[in-house]
Amino acid sequence: MHWTRRSFLQALSAAAALLLSRRAYAIGEHDRVAIPLLRYAGNWNPRPNALRRLLQSVEQRTSILVETASKALDPASPDLFSAPFVVLAGDRAFEPLPDAAILNLRQYLQAGGFLLVDSAEGVQDGPFMQSVRRDLARIYDASRVVVVPRDHVLYKSFFLLDKPVGRVVVSDNVEGVFDDDRLAVVISHNDLLGAWERDNFGSWTFDCTPGGETQREHATRVGINLVMYALCINYKADQVHIPFILRRRQWKVD
Amino acid sequence: MEGRLNDVSEYNASDLLWLGDWSTAWLVALVVLGVIVIAVSIYDLAPMKPARRWTLVSLRAAVYALAVLLLLEPAIDLKNVTKVKNRVAVLVDASGSMALEHEGRARIDRARDAVEALDLPAELEDDNHIWDVFTFGGDLTDTTANALSSVRPTERATDLGAAIATLARRYERADIGGLVVISDGTDTGEIGERTRRDEELDAVTLEAVKSLQAPINTVAVATPDALTDVAITRVVRDDFAFVHNKVSVEVRLQVVGVEPTSFPVKLIRDGELLQTRDVTVTADETAYTVTFEYVPKSIGKEIYTVEAPEFPGEVLLANNRTHFLQKIIRDKIRALQVVGRPSWDERFLRQLLKRNPNVDLISFFILRTDQNVHIASQSELSLIPFPTDELFNSELPSFDLVIFQNFNFGPYNMRQYLPRISSFVKEGGGFVMIGGDLSFASGGYADTPVEEILPVGLPPRTSPNLVDEALFRPQLTDAGQRHPITQLAFDPASNARIWASLPEQRGTNLVLAAKPDATVLATHPRIKVGDAMMPVVTVSEVGEGRVMALTTDSTWRWGFEHLATGGTPREYQVFWNSAIRWLIKDPDLKLLKAEIPADEYTPGDTMTARVRIQQADYTPAPNVEGKLAVSYRSFEAMLERSPETKLVREVDFVTDADGEAIVEFPVDQVGIWTATARAQTSAGELRDADLALAVSAANELRDVLPRPALLAQLSAATAGVHSESAVAHRALNLNAPRTVKVNKREVIQLWDSSIVFVAVLLLLGTEWTLRRRWGRL
Repeated sequence: MHWTRRSFLQALSAAAALLLSRRAYAIGEHDRVAIPLLRYAGNWNPRPNALRRLLQSVEQRTSILVETASKALDPASPDLFSAPFVVLAGDRAFEPLPDAAILNLRQYLQAGGFLLVDSAEGVQDGPFMQSVRRDLARIYDASRVVVVPRDHVLYKSFFLLDKPVGRVVVSDNVEGVFDDDRLAVVISHNDLLGAWERDNFGSWTFDCTPGGETQREHATRVGINLVMYALCINYKADQVHIPFILRRRQWKVD
Repeated sequence: MEGRLNDVSEYNASDLLWLGDWSTAWLVALVVLGVIVIAVSIYDLAPMKPARRWTLVSLRAAVYALAVLLLLEPAIDLKNVTKVKNRVAVLVDASGSMALEHEGRARIDRARDAVEALDLPAELEDDNHIWDVFTFGGDLTDTTANALSSVRPTERATDLGAAIATLARRYERADIGGLVVISDGTDTGEIGERTRRDEELDAVTLEAVKSLQAPINTVAVATPDALTDVAITRVVRDDFAFVHNKVSVEVRLQVVGVEPTSFPVKLIRDGELLQTRDVTVTADETAYTVTFEYVPKSIGKEIYTVEAPEFPGEVLLANNRTHFLQKIIRDKIRALQVVGRPSWDERFLRQLLKRNPNVDLISFFILRTDQNVHIASQSELSLIPFPTDELFNSELPSFDLVIFQNFNFGPYNMRQYLPRISSFVKEGGGFVMIGGDLSFASGGYADTPVEEILPVGLPPRTSPNLVDEALFRPQLTDAGQRHPITQLAFDPASNARIWASLPEQRGTNLVLAAKPDATVLATHPRIKVGDAMMPVVTVSEVGEGRVMALTTDSTWRWGFEHLATGGTPREYQVFWNSAIRWLIKDPDLKLLKAEIPADEYTPGDTMTARVRIQQADYTPAPNVEGKLAVSYRSFEAMLERSPETKLVREVDFVTDADGEAIVEFPVDQVGIWTATARAQTSAGELRDADLALAVSAANELRDVLPRPALLAQLSAATAGVHSESAVAHRALNLNAPRTVKVNKREVIQLWDSSIVFVAVLLLLGTEWTLRRRWGRL
C-alpha cells in the first residue's frame, strides 16, 4: 500500500470524524470485542502491544467495537469463556500445558471459541511451534491440523487477500483445525503480532521482511480478516456475496 | 349285440379313448419297428413283380398295424349330455351424467329404452343364456329390468372397469356368455382415465376386458353431437405446496358446442380473484389447458376456485366451476438476519441458525460505516452494497422471520421501508428486535412504524439515557414460566433454577412499558417503568404475525460463558429455537390441534375430525373434556366475500389415553366445513380449527361429453356388437354355452373283440398263401 497525499488526507479526516463523533456504547463495555492472550509458563507475551494495535486498526477500519485494554487469561481458568477469541503467542519452547488447561481449551473450542496461534520465532516449526503441536495433539487428533486452503473465507472475510504474511514470510499458508465447517484454530508461522507491534510512541517495533511497509499493511489486513472471521464465520461464503467477490478477484487477475 | 346297439342310440356324444398305458417312448419304438419291418419286406421282395411285391408289403403292414392297435386298446366313450346355460350380464349406467338430457330426453331414459328394446326373454332365460341385470356407477348393483324404471342416476362415478372386475368375481365359476353395457361412455374410472379421447385402448384395459373371454356388447345412449358444454374437467396440482415457493396448477377444460371465441378462466383464492387466463376456442379442438402460477403467502389451507363463464344452452353449468383445497406447508424457515455491526451476539446467533437444517438464513452485516477509515479501494475489499430495496421491498414477503440485531436503519435510507416491515408482520411474518447500542430507541425506532409493531414502547431518542450498562439476570414473569420461549425446563422449579444459573446480561436497552396486548416474559430485576419492572423479553401478536423484543445483546453468553460454570449451550439453543418456532407460528407448538385428515368430501359422507391435546410439557393430555363446533359456509358466501357462517352442531369430546379424540359428523351439502375444537387445560383455554370442502360428486360431472367411441373400442376388442341405437338381444354376439352336463356314460372297448383276431388271422393267412403261390417260401 503506497500512501498518497489523498489517501493520507482521507485517513486523517476519518480519524478526525472518529474523534468527534458521539461515543458509541456497546450495552456494557464487556461486550466489546477483546482478544486476550493465553498465559502459560514461558514467554507468553513476546509482542506486548501488538493486539492492542491490531484492535485499534479493527475499530478504525470496520464497524466492530473493540476493547483495546490488554488482557491475559489462564487457559485452565473458567474466565476463558468470557472471550471467544484468544491468542497463543510465543518465541520459544514451553512446558506442556496442564491437563486442566487442555480439557478447558477442548471444551472452549468445541463450544465456539477461536484460537489464533502465532509464532514469533521467524522460522517454520521452531521450538515454540513444536510445543504448540504437542499440546494441540492433546486437544485434537494430530491429523486434524491441515493447511487452510486459499479459497477459504478467511482470505475474503473483509479484505481480499492472497497470502497470510506477517513480520516475516516463512510460510505461504496458515494451518488450522476445523470444527465442522468452522475454523476453530488458526496457526500462523509468520509472526503476525510482530508486524502489528508498536512502541508506546507509535513507532513500529520490527521491520517487515522482505516486503517492508506494504507487507505490514497486508499483515494488518490479515489480522482484521481474522477478527472478522471469528465474528462472522462464513458470512462471506454466503451465496449473495459470491458474484461480487468473483468479479473483484477477476478484476485483480486481469 | 342288438341290445348294445339299442343302448348306443341313447347316447348323443362320443369320444375315442386309448386304454393301453403306453408311454410315448414305447409308441415311438413301435412305429420305428414297423418302419423297419416294412423296409426289410420291401428289400426282401425286390426280385418279385411290383404288383405282387406291394401286395405282400401291404398285407404285412396291415397285420403289423392291427397288432399295434390291439396293444393300444382302443375304446369308445359314449355319453348322454345336456348343455348348461351361460350368464349374460346387462350393465346399465346409473351415474350422475345419465341424468343429463339430450333433445328433451334424459340419458337414463334412453338406457331404459335400450333395455326394453333388448327384448329379453321371459323369466330372463332362454335356451342358451340366463340374463342378469345390473346398474353400475362406482360399483355394481343388482336390479331387474322392471326395477330399472325407478332407478335414479345418482352414482358419483362411472367406473366400468370396477364393475367388470366385480362381475368377474361374481361369475367366477360360471360360464360367461357376454356383457351388454348400456352407457353414455363417460367413464371416470381407470378405463376412462387411461384411455383419453381419440386414443386406442391401453394394454391394461385390453387385458382386463379380454380376460373375461366373453364379448362385450355396448349400446351408446348419447353422442356428443349437438351438445353444448364448457367443463373444467381436471385440475392437475400437487397435494401440498410450499409457502413462498411458486406453485403451478394446470387446469384442463373441455369445450364443446361453442362457436370459436375467447373467454377468461379465473383462479380465485379464498374468494379473491388471483389470476385470469384466456382460452381461445377453435372449431377443431375440444380440449384446452391453462396454467396458473402463484406463490402461497402463508402456511395452512387455502381454498381455490377455478371458474369458467357460462354459455347459453349448456347441458350442465355445475362443471363450469370447481373448488379445491391447497395445503400450504413450510419448506424451510426463511430468516433474514440484519446486523448493525459484527459482535459475539451476532456470531453465536448466526452459527445457531446456520446449523439448523430447517432454517434458510440470509444474513446482512454492516461491516463498515461512513465513520470508518476508508484507506483501501473497493476492489481490495469483499464488501457488497446493502441491497435495501431488494430485501425490504421485493423479497421481504418471501421471508418467514426478520431479525434486526443491533441494527439502526438511519444511515441506510431505510425509513421508507419501515412501513413495509410493519405490513410484513401484520400479514403473518415474524419479527424480532435484539438489543444493542444501535437498537430500539438508540437505533432511532421511536415514533416509526417499527415501534408500532414492537410489544414495548420506546423513549424518544433525545432521552438522556437510552441504555443501562449494569449487569443483571432477567426475572421470569408468571407468563414467562409457561411460555414456550422462556420455558427452558417443563418443571417450573427447574426452569427457575436454570434461569438463575444463566450468566448475567451485560446491560440493556431502556424501553417503556409493555403495550396492553403484549406479554412480558422476563423483566429487569431493578429498573422500573412506572410501577412495573422494565420488560426485557416481550412478545405480542400483531395482525397475523408475531413480534419479540429482546433488550439485551448478550444472550450469547448463555451458550458460551455458561460452560465455565458447568452449564451447557442447551439453554441458549432452546431459547432461540423456541423463539423462532413461536415467531413463525410452528404448528407443532400448538398444545391443541384440530385436524380434518381428508380435504374433500361428498354430501352424504361422514366427516372425521381428530383433536389432539398436549400438556404444557408436550406429553399427551388424557381425559380432557372439550367441545368441537362444526360450522358451514357456502361457496357462494365465500365468493361474495360474505362472512355468513352457520354453526351446524357442537359436539362434546373427551381425549383418550393418547390425548386424542375422534369426532364424526355428517356432511349434508356442498360448501366449506370447519371444525373448531376448544378445551380448557392447565395452560388456559386452547383452541384450534381445521377445514375441509364438501363438493358434489367429485369427478362424475367434470366431463359429461358422451364417449360412444370408447364403448365401440371395448366391443371391438372383445368381438362384441356396438350400437348407437336400440338393439334386440338376438342381434348381440354372445358365447354359446361351453359347459355340458353328463347324464349317462358307457365305455365300449373296441380291441376286446374276436373280429379283430379273425381279421389278423385272415390277413396273415392271405399273405402266407400268396407268398407260397408266387414262389417264395
